[in-house]
Amino acid sequence: MVDKIKALKKRHKIAVAWAHDSNTIGALSKAVSDGFAEAIMIGRQNEITRLCGENGIKTGLFSIVDSDNEMTASKEAVRLARTGAADIVMKGLVGTDKFLKAVMDKENGLMLPDAVLSYVAALEIPAYHKLLFITDPAVIPFPDLDQKISMAQYAIEMAERFGIERPRIALIGASEKMSRHFQNSFDYSVMCKMAERGQIKNCIMDGPLDLFLACDKKSIDIKGVKTPVDGNADILLFPSLESCNPFYKGLMLFAQGELAGLVRGTQKPVIVMSRSESEKSKYYCVALACLMA
Amino acid sequence: MVLKTLADLKKIVIGGPTKKLILATAQDQHSLGAVLRAWKDGIIEPILIGDKEGIQNICAENNYDIAGARIIHEPDIQMAVEMSVKMVSSKQADILMKGKVGTSSLLKCVLNKEWGLRTGNLLSHFALFEVDTYPKVIAVTDVAMNIAPNLQDKIAIINNSVSCLMKLGYVLPKVAVLGAVEMVNENMEATLHAALLSKMYQRDQIKNCIIDGPLAFDNAVSLESAQHKGIKSEVAGDTDLLLMPDIEVGNVLYKSLVFFAKAKVASLILGARVPIVLTSRSDSEQAKYDSILLSAAASK
Repeated sequence: MVDKIKALKKRHKIAVAWAHDSNTIGALSKAVSDGFAEAIMIGRQNEITRLCGENGIKTGLFSIVDSDNEMTASKEAVRLARTGAADIVMKGLVGTDKFLKAVMDKENGLMLPDAVLSYVAALEIPAYHKLLFITDPAVIPFPDLDQKISMAQYAIEMAERFGIERPRIALIGASEKMSRHFQNSFDYSVMCKMAERGQIKNCIMDGPLDLFLACDKKSIDIKGVKTPVDGNADILLFPSLESCNPFYKGLMLFAQGELAGLVRGTQKPVIVMSRSESEKSKYYCVALACLMA
Repeated sequence: MVLKTLADLKKIVIGGPTKKLILATAQDQHSLGAVLRAWKDGIIEPILIGDKEGIQNICAENNYDIAGARIIHEPDIQMAVEMSVKMVSSKQADILMKGKVGTSSLLKCVLNKEWGLRTGNLLSHFALFEVDTYPKVIAVTDVAMNIAPNLQDKIAIINNSVSCLMKLGYVLPKVAVLGAVEMVNENMEATLHAALLSKMYQRDQIKNCIIDGPLAFDNAVSLESAQHKGIKSEVAGDTDLLLMPDIEVGNVLYKSLVFFAKAKVASLILGARVPIVLTSRSDSEQAKYDSILLSAAASK
């Protein structure tokens, strides 16, 4: 991904709301040095300057906009994106709820009309032979059918940016069978038919599938299930936030996974990460946002 | 094997074992005519239960040869129906057919918990249509029995129909789940059911058939229509069985095929211990005869 974005030789302007956070500053200085980003840091100027100094980063890499509270900083970042002065908005040390409030503001926010706000992430896992896109680990707790359709479309769009034509998307459940005890299996069958009929485009979709059938060809042979995803999924759509979130965190903790994610449904890419994420993860998110911008 | 015409039903049953058919309240001209014809053809052996004098009068008026037919005299309609169902229940016959009695009285007896013909399956109506404009017989369900089937009902209706088609010699009949459009639309429940049924077929949860839907009527029966719309489907244009979204669509389709397309029809009630010939009192003698052929084939 980073190679792809470097090869584009284009710098995207990133407005960072409440930028006084070492990991964020570090990630952006690297992105600026790597030639694909320009950063507008919004926050207390002296604090940002101090953190740059502590980390041996030249303040000259960034433009700094002085702001004295996190809400106004968030609004300013969004305003810069709306007016075209920025291509990407990024959350710094501000709380997610406050930041998203500015993004989702009906009059001054960044939402596309009638769009569903959701989250798509790209996961690099040493045990899997390619990137795996997952949705939604962060925004929609229990997606309904319409939200699931939007989630699928966002993930397909992201996979396409990575050069994957007709990505294979697995709709994840506990089993491949349809059951009235699992409403998700009903939603999934409706989505599969929509994909067959061209109502969801540019993908190979199947579900419900359990994780083994989605990502492991051997399991398919053992179970004898016919599935066009063929144990070779590019995208996993999870039935709930609470299933997707532990999935990626488990992989990061126990299987050396790396993740880059983005909020979707906005006019411009919005980077939302947990404040505790590493500098490396934040750097990947910045690269991903530049790729999607 | 696929039926090209309803006359093909005769090839299936001729030479097979003769089935015992009980005609409940037999004093009905068209029913008697059809039953006696099937008897003469060696397809069934009739047991006529009803008003003996009435039966004999009809036969005399219409020159029906009734010599040698078993008649059980029971002039009371309700009693005659009860007796008919009880005899089927005690395995004295293979097929039950409705005569003069009203449909609801007959079904009430069929559904009797102590001596009726319940199997635990849903009862459903199954009809075969022959029209000049389609290259083979097309089965349609449910046009007469289940009013607004839910998803579970539709699974049962498909299973009933597919096992009947298998008895007729079909292998993996193609089932089209009918909608107003071939797209999934959340505001049209039939299209959602269709998607669910398709997936259950793909996962082998509904067996012995190939299911696709939603398909609009034109896509279901015309390959050209389906191709025109760019639909990729294992079923479109080659449907053996059309699953109706509800009784209103089914009933109107059935009657428009008969009235406007001059369709020939044979029909049955499935899901009971034996096939039940339950044609409408207004159906022609030919339709009743074809339905008897169908019941004999389905009672294998």
